[in-house]
Order: sequence, then C-alpha cells, then structure tokens
Amino acid sequence: MTFTGAIGRACLLPLRAIIALCVALRIHPNVLTLTGVIINGAAGWALATGSFGLAGWIMLVANIFDFIDGKVADELKLSSRFGGFWDSVMDRFSDLFILIGLIYLYATLERPDYVLIAALTLTFSVMTSYTRARAESIIPLCKVGFMERPERIVLFMIGAFTNRMAAVLWVILVLSVLTVLDRIYFTWRAVRSDDRELPA
Amino acid sequence: MSVSRAMTLPLRMIWHALYWTFERATWQYDLMVIAILAFIWLTPPAWLGDPVASGPGLVGILAALLR
Repeated sequence: MTFTGAIGRACLLPLRAIIALCVALRIHPNVLTLTGVIINGAAGWALATGSFGLAGWIMLVANIFDFIDGKVADELKLSSRFGGFWDSVMDRFSDLFILIGLIYLYATLERPDYVLIAALTLTFSVMTSYTRARAESIIPLCKVGFMERPERIVLFMIGAFTNRMAAVLWVILVLSVLTVLDRIYFTWRAVRSDDRELPA
Repeated sequence: MSVSRAMTLPLRMIWHALYWTFERATWQYDLMVIAILAFIWLTPPAWLGDPVASGPGLVGILAALLR
C-alpha cells in the first residue's frame, strides 16, 4: 500500500458520512458544486487579506463540497452530462478565486515578482484543464501530467496551513507548465499515430 | 521507438518525472509527493523571497547551526 493511497482511504471515511447526509437530505449535486465555488470565493478573500490559516480552513470546507458532488450525483442517480459540464466550469472559477486572492495580496504587498508568479500559475492552471478538454475532443483520453486539480487543491491548503505559499506557487507553476507540455506532446503523438493508421 | 526506450536509466528517470504518466497511489506518485513536500517545507522562505512566510525553515535552521 502506498502512503498517498492510505491517506486517501483515511480521508474517505468522514466524507462517506457527509455524502450519506447529503443523499438523505436529497441535496441536488449542482447545488453542492455551486456552494463549493461560493465558499472558495470566501477563501480567495481570506488569502487576499493575508489570513492564511482562515483561508486553509475555508478551502477545506469548500473542497469537501467539491469532492462529494459527483458521489452524491451517483448515489441519487442524478449524474448528467450537464452536471459534468457545470462541475468543470465551477472548478475553473474556484481556481481563479484562489489565485486572484493571492495576486491581490502580493499586489498590496508591492511584490510584482510574486504577482507575476501567481498570474502565471493562474494561466497554466487554466491551460492544464483546457489542454485536456481540447485534446479529448479529438482523442479518447488525455490524462498525462502530474498537476491536476486535486493536487493543486491539496497544495494550496498545505501552503495556507503552513504559511509556505510562495514555495507552493513555484511547485504548482513548474508542474503545471510540465503538465501542459505533457498533454501537448501526448496529443501530438496520438494524432500522428491515428493519421498513420488511416488508409492512404 | 519511444523516447524513453532510447535512454539510460538516470535519463529515463528524469524523462518519466517530466513526462508524467503514472496514476495516483503508486510508489512513483508517493516519491513525487515526498519530493514536493520536502521542497515546500525544507526550503528557507528567504531563498524564494517569500513575501509572507515566517521562520527560516528546517534547512535554514540546520544551516544556521552549522555556521
């Protein structure tokens, strides 16, 4: 067993109780998704004011909603194509709120270097999702690269709780750039391979 | 021939770290997570010019002790 797998399984135990509660209350998964985004907006505000500890707790709550919406949809048999689309769009807003909060913070601290780093992180976080979505419109699956949304969320929380946000931003930026490049390379290979298999 | 097959072991390890195709909860994923956490928690914030972090970090403490 890997330690990341063990941590994942341990976190799943309390989440199962929350999922069961939402299913019992028949809360619509799209409402859960929207609630998560609104709470992430509050986390962005907390980051903008430099309240990292508070931001960490708010992000923790927001991301519980983010995690359980799909599971609740499955349990209530409310999974839909629109639900998937809604979830993806709301996830992008959540990412943007967090990073705009950091950009605002570094701007008020008159640190243009970190404004730039946070802005680049924002750009490549969005591009990570865009490259996969666009790739999967022409090939069946494009799931390469390390820095996906769950990794970003956990890293932001670690940065907030331990007051090491600069290091976290560097990690997310570098690995997001690599993830975008991985997806471009993977898609190029897949498309080239498809083209070769086509009869002349 | 794929890019990684043409490489020696150290180069192949670097290639696989850069061109990431592993799933979550694999030993490769664990290794990457350890490397990331080590960077975040051990690097002295001053080295990165962190505008808000406080304290020297573990490496900073050790460096100060060795001085």
